[in-house]
Amino acid sequence: MNLPIFVCPFDPTLLRRFTGAAVVVRVDRPARVADAVAAAEDSGNALFCVILDSACPLDQIEFGDDLKDTPLAVRAPSLGKFRNLVRHLDRLKRLDLRVHLPCDRAGNITGLRILSSVGLRGCAVIGNGKTDWEALADLMTYAVLEPVPHASIEPFATIAARYDPQACLDWGGVQFEDPSRFLHMDRQGRIALSRRELEESKFIAQDLSELSGQAQHPAVRERLDAGRRMFAENHPCASCAGWKVCLGKFAATAAEDRGCEALFAEMIAAALQRQAAKSCDPEPKPWPP
Amino acid sequence: MANILLTTRCNRSCPYCFAKSEMAGAAPDSRMSWENLIYVADFLERSGRQRVSLLGGEPTLHPDCVDFILHLLHRRFRVRVFTNGVLSPERLEEFRAHLASADVEQLNFVCNLNDPEQTPAPAEELDRVREFLAVMGPWTVAGFNIYRPDFSLDFIFDAVNRFGMKRRLRAGIAHPVPGQSAGFIRPEQLREILDRLFSFRPQFDAFRVQLSFDCGFPICKVTDEQLGWLRRSGGEAHFGCGPAMDIAPDMSVYYCFPLAGYRRRSLFEFDSVQQVEEHFAALRKQLASEVPGIYAECDGCRQREDGVCAGGGLCRAVNRLVREAPIRLSEIEDELAHLRLPV
Repeated sequence: MNLPIFVCPFDPTLLRRFTGAAVVVRVDRPARVADAVAAAEDSGNALFCVILDSACPLDQIEFGDDLKDTPLAVRAPSLGKFRNLVRHLDRLKRLDLRVHLPCDRAGNITGLRILSSVGLRGCAVIGNGKTDWEALADLMTYAVLEPVPHASIEPFATIAARYDPQACLDWGGVQFEDPSRFLHMDRQGRIALSRRELEESKFIAQDLSELSGQAQHPAVRERLDAGRRMFAENHPCASCAGWKVCLGKFAATAAEDRGCEALFAEMIAAALQRQAAKSCDPEPKPWPP
Repeated sequence: MANILLTTRCNRSCPYCFAKSEMAGAAPDSRMSWENLIYVADFLERSGRQRVSLLGGEPTLHPDCVDFILHLLHRRFRVRVFTNGVLSPERLEEFRAHLASADVEQLNFVCNLNDPEQTPAPAEELDRVREFLAVMGPWTVAGFNIYRPDFSLDFIFDAVNRFGMKRRLRAGIAHPVPGQSAGFIRPEQLREILDRLFSFRPQFDAFRVQLSFDCGFPICKVTDEQLGWLRRSGGEAHFGCGPAMDIAPDMSVYYCFPLAGYRRRSLFEFDSVQQVEEHFAALRKQLASEVPGIYAECDGCRQREDGVCAGGGLCRAVNRLVREAPIRLSEIEDELAHLRLPV
């Protein structure tokens, strides 16, 4: 099979177990980013980007200037205090950085808007808990339609740029959650379809060798086809106006909470509006490249 | 320049306050949100405006005041904060830690000072103002609202000198809220007020403090000699009238505090500052056609027709209508209520 990009923890021994693949390396502190870059190179794998899983708010993370050539996704619990962050902003803007904030946490939807307004790219991590869909829709409108220059906010920027009324769009890749592009690996080399399944030890393969020789692993194919089952089951998502850009990602809560439908229906309208105006604007730079 | 009202709360109760009625009508402790602040900043930026003033209530009572200021500074806005200087020790420490290295050309404060003898305040409040000035003095212009004719400025010269404040005094007169009875300077008192103000010329010269006028002064009450001194000493004479363009936490926008009830709209109805200005210019034009100024002589005055003088300020002119032609005023208010936005 064509190897997807492997999202794996920083472990030089693990990285040396395979070669010629594209990897996303997860680290838990900024001091390890440079080591992760070196380890990926030494192993003969191509570094796609580094994920920094930080327990600290963004304002408390110390980044060095040596990271400026490394694509970096920072998963932080929150923005922290703007007054502290502002001291690092110029340095942060020199990095190839995107900040992922969980939107089930109070203040993070606002935090993403603040980051964007000062030129830092962000990503709304949606659906891990209670979600304020209305606030997310406001953020989406800002991300897609505000004419004053600001940094992109995912997944809205990707949807706005790539939405095609004739096709479905899976934007899970912006959060490394698209099994056709990203698979997740643990320290033993076991492979899962998503980060959550990795944490729950739900593996599809015990080793990389189990993936080779197949055009696409059956579990991947099944996951990609999972949306179709919703039509057979007459799930509420099957009649959702936002289906084409959601693909049932929030199916577990969609039955009792239709907020996601409003968000993604608005998202489609905003994407069309943005595309109609696109001829006057430059194409947004996709990230990761 | 747009004024963003960060909060409707205030921790002082000045006898001349012309924002009080507007603040009392708002929800208690109504606060500007981050989302709205960013919206206003974007709105100004896309209108080509990079200057903003932060007001209240008392803007420093907003818990995110420091963060808002830093955000606007980072976006290269020039920021002016109108404060009474009564900051809690915690808030003052935030200012010291995060704002005391800001570029004095990009950030400044106007601290409205009250004469401690004429407008007595608790000792703790006065201490806090002094503590604020001790930290932020170099960023701060003294502001003084005149609401009685026997005022003194000695305490201001003292503060400017002691705390290394900017050598400028922004002098305003207490304005009327049309139809309401808060203390304000009446048109017939203006000559006396101005003479009193200019009687401090020796102190202005000795302390090298420049005098600048806030809105509401009519040019006809300033003598040529006074005007000449003002220009020579580097002061600013301003005889126009807004619009101030005040943006409240609920995103309503109005001409200024005293005229908050006239043709008030939501900022979301406009696409640019220019549209807001056109909207309020129409208000000014309509009201000025009914009552040219605060004096009968304003009608036909060349300075007013040439746009040099606003006839003593729109709120004062409307207040004249309230007293002299209340029936006509209510007709005007009806007409204003039916006017459509030119957007």
